[in-house]
Amino acid sequence: MKIQGWMFVLCGLFFAAVDVVYWFWSKEPTGTAVLAISVGLALMIGYYLLFTARRIGDQPEDSKEADISDGAGELGFFSPHSWWPLFVCLSAALTFFGFAIGMWLFLIGVFATVMSMIGFVFQYYRGNFSH
Amino acid sequence: MLPVATASAITTTTTPYGSRRPNLVQVGTIVWLSSELMFFAALFAMYFTIRSVSLGQGKPWPDAHLDIPYATANTIILVLSSVTCQFGVWAAEKGQVKKLRFWYIFSFILGAIFVAGQLNEYRVLVEEGVTLASSAYGSVFYLTTGFHGLHVTGGLIAFLFILGRTYAAKRFTHEQATSAIVVSYYWHFVDVVWIGLFATIYIIK
Repeated sequence: MKIQGWMFVLCGLFFAAVDVVYWFWSKEPTGTAVLAISVGLALMIGYYLLFTARRIGDQPEDSKEADISDGAGELGFFSPHSWWPLFVCLSAALTFFGFAIGMWLFLIGVFATVMSMIGFVFQYYRGNFSH
Repeated sequence: MLPVATASAITTTTTPYGSRRPNLVQVGTIVWLSSELMFFAALFAMYFTIRSVSLGQGKPWPDAHLDIPYATANTIILVLSSVTCQFGVWAAEKGQVKKLRFWYIFSFILGAIFVAGQLNEYRVLVEEGVTLASSAYGSVFYLTTGFHGLHVTGGLIAFLFILGRTYAAKRFTHEQATSAIVVSYYWHFVDVVWIGLFATIYIIK
């Protein structure tokens, strides 16, 4: 993961250089502030990838000799199928629709969003999946 | 007795790489937070643009009586909640679910005090006539701090979900530790964004 990390760090250094040039050229705070935050955008990912790389050691993608099969193994947990994201999205849409229609629909939408998020977060904690 | 071919096949499949993989949930959370950072970048851009236009028109900036000691105290509470949240993460990494619960409940309370404090600040400012529609300054003040407050509220709900998960399951699983850690990433991020907003709105002005 080291190379990916350094790619983002280099992007951050590039934004930092552009930011300094921009400030001396324009003396304008808006673009300077946003470019400074872009430095944060790139350095945050870059630092995290380098930090993770140091923690977990070399990965197959760090070696030119590696095969695809070296990357085999457990990558994480992926839900095979779930209806909950659909309900979360529908209730979020209802909430924002409430801004246009009225407070009463907004409150119904907030309630529906909270309920569907509870369903989403706890779907692998109840019933057949309780552990 | 095993055939020789099988034995050599086994030796070629051992890899020099560790069995540890990056946790996709954690890496994904960081990438998502970087996009959240750009959301706040848009709010900062709005703030600085309207500030320079208002100053160019000779309007007062900031167009409100900001209670800086009050806001500083509120900021310190939010920063402390980040510290207590990190204690919770260290507990989660060791699988100490009771300590995790204690520190996350503590962080939740501190975060709730911050939101309540901010709502009280809004109440005072509204009584002084600063509203979302009263002036350009009112608009940017409530939009920037309000969107941040909504993020803190979202983090509070996330704390409740994490706590709920630790109670819903009999065992404290690796997955629960991961979700506790990514919520802490989010919480630290919201904390850092607030420090930026606080410096911009209350100190630089």
